[in-house]
Amino acid sequence: MSPTYAATPRGARGRSLALTGLLGPATVFLAAVLLVALCILLVNSAYHFTGTQVQPTLTFEAYRHFFTDPFYAGVVWQEIRLAVTTTAICLVVGYPTAYAITKIRRPGWVIAAYILIFSPLLTSSIVRAYGWLVVLARGGLVNWALLRLHLVAAPVRLLFDVTGVTVALVHVLLPFTVFPILSVLLRTDPALREAAADLGATRLQGFFRITWPLSFPGLYAAAQLTFVLAMNAYVTPQLLGGGRVQVLPLLIYENISDLDWPLAAVEATVLIVLVWATMLGSNLLFRRRLATLEDRR
Amino acid sequence: MGPGRQGQDVAASFLSHVSTGRPREASALPAVELEHVHKWYGSIHAVRGISLRILQNEFFSLLGPSGCGKTTVLRMISGFETPTEGTVYLKGEVANAIPPYRRDTNLIFQHLALFPHLDVYDNIAFGLRLRRLPRPEIARKVRAALELVDLVGYDTRRIHQLSGGQKQRIAIARALVNEPAVLLLDEPLGALDLRLRIQMQVELKEIQHRVGTTFVYVTHDQTEAMTMSDRIAVMNHGFVEQIGTSRDVYERPRTRFVATFLGDSNLLEAQVESSNADQTVLRAGAARLIGPADAGATPGSSVTLCVRPERLRFAGAGTASGGDDGNRLDARVRDAIFKGAVIEYRLVTESGARLILQAHADAARPVEPGAAVTVTWRKEDGVLLTE
Repeated sequence: MSPTYAATPRGARGRSLALTGLLGPATVFLAAVLLVALCILLVNSAYHFTGTQVQPTLTFEAYRHFFTDPFYAGVVWQEIRLAVTTTAICLVVGYPTAYAITKIRRPGWVIAAYILIFSPLLTSSIVRAYGWLVVLARGGLVNWALLRLHLVAAPVRLLFDVTGVTVALVHVLLPFTVFPILSVLLRTDPALREAAADLGATRLQGFFRITWPLSFPGLYAAAQLTFVLAMNAYVTPQLLGGGRVQVLPLLIYENISDLDWPLAAVEATVLIVLVWATMLGSNLLFRRRLATLEDRR
Repeated sequence: MGPGRQGQDVAASFLSHVSTGRPREASALPAVELEHVHKWYGSIHAVRGISLRILQNEFFSLLGPSGCGKTTVLRMISGFETPTEGTVYLKGEVANAIPPYRRDTNLIFQHLALFPHLDVYDNIAFGLRLRRLPRPEIARKVRAALELVDLVGYDTRRIHQLSGGQKQRIAIARALVNEPAVLLLDEPLGALDLRLRIQMQVELKEIQHRVGTTFVYVTHDQTEAMTMSDRIAVMNHGFVEQIGTSRDVYERPRTRFVATFLGDSNLLEAQVESSNADQTVLRAGAARLIGPADAGATPGSSVTLCVRPERLRFAGAGTASGGDDGNRLDARVRDAIFKGAVIEYRLVTESGARLILQAHADAARPVEPGAAVTVTWRKEDGVLLTE
């Protein structure tokens, strides 16, 4: 049903020219910044740090330090756990939200829902974090409510802990979860659900046999995006973690402040490798499933 | 090409509950019945009091322009819409509130709605699995369905790998494999090119003959409806204008709309001068015309006389059949369009009325544009339209 364009030789050349023109600037910019920076990073990670300054001799001792000190393994583990939890909560909350938005009939309410979902992105991350400070503090809104409802005897620690960081991260990242899912759901032909119903499927059966499998690519993209953003989060764990939530971005910043560029470079490399490995690994894992769903276009 | 060669045995194995020797119009209960059905969408009155009966094993078409309410009627039969007023019966039982998934009907959607994430086998088996049939039985039925649409061996193809015509057939197989009491079709051939569409029309008719299921077919294409249907309901503005066989609605249109929507018509405004059991005498301007007898034609009333283009003849140009009963109109040829088997002449009468005359292309001598002619027709070839 999608239109196919016959690629005449001339059209093909014109197309590739146009593509070069359109993609060129972004490619050059990304290549320059990313590749050059990556190379500097890799070189730096192998240098020697005396405690006060970096010496350009290849030692790899920063790597040894990172991989032998269990502190860093703990940080990596905590960070992965944080990112996975955040992603999971975002998906569990985001999927029904996206699904519900597709069911709204009144255009006004659809716009309202979009604004609501987008609202976290319209605030600066610092303001947002301080907002959560007010809500989650010992004397904050949540604890006040819990105490008044006699659900807890004493204030609960929500702030300067993984809980608070997770809540705040879910808040920021939810739009990035909802939109990929929403766009896939909106692209799904409503007639397919009707066809399922016509063939004897109840609403629940129709959902699990048609909507759910067809929305998988959106769910998958949402999960990847959320996970990457959670892994790289800096401001939220910094302001709401109170030093108790250590993640690689925080360590990188600290080490750079301490002029320990080699260690910061090692941590950055590890972070990049972790994220890329997750992406590639999951792509391999779901390759077949995604391929069968992609060719519906 | 067609699935014809498998013949009756496929149909028999495919639809075991249909006895093959059953006469087509035997069943007393209509498969579908609508009684004073109305449908409102907000302030829009989409269906305005429709009553009709669709017999078992009938190929029934709902024909009309877009927005006439035909798809709404189909969706009320399939259960996707509930009538605002009136009753829908399926096999004699009130069906208004039965959800689609519990109805003994299957719908072939306008854009087919094949499941893109499933292969051909899984698409066809979809309904059978929901009914929790045993696996071997599902396999057998899917195979029979694929045989019926002549696509054996396509089990593992994915939907996007199929051509338009193949998708069409899979959609038919996916619906018919459930052995519905009624198969509903919502303009399913619209996306196909003309050649394939004509081929599928013939095939659909053949499939319907073999499985003996009631088909309810929605279309805006009058040729399509006439090619396939046992009976046609012509719809306009939410009403049914006429129900009848293809021949009925074409040759005996009851309203102006039916006359113009199904093929070309020459419509002549006239006053009734006199009428008897034999004929109706009309006056159209200076001309005196003879129409068929019509009980509704009271002297003095205004009527429209409808004559099909192929019923008009040039007076004197080979008197093949009978007299002309005195129907004569002088006209001038504006245009002659060669259409292969026929030539279509566009004429204008002295009073300015426009006429279309169709003649066999092999007629002795073609009439040139600009020629003055006299047009004639038999009185029984005219139809009086009072609406």
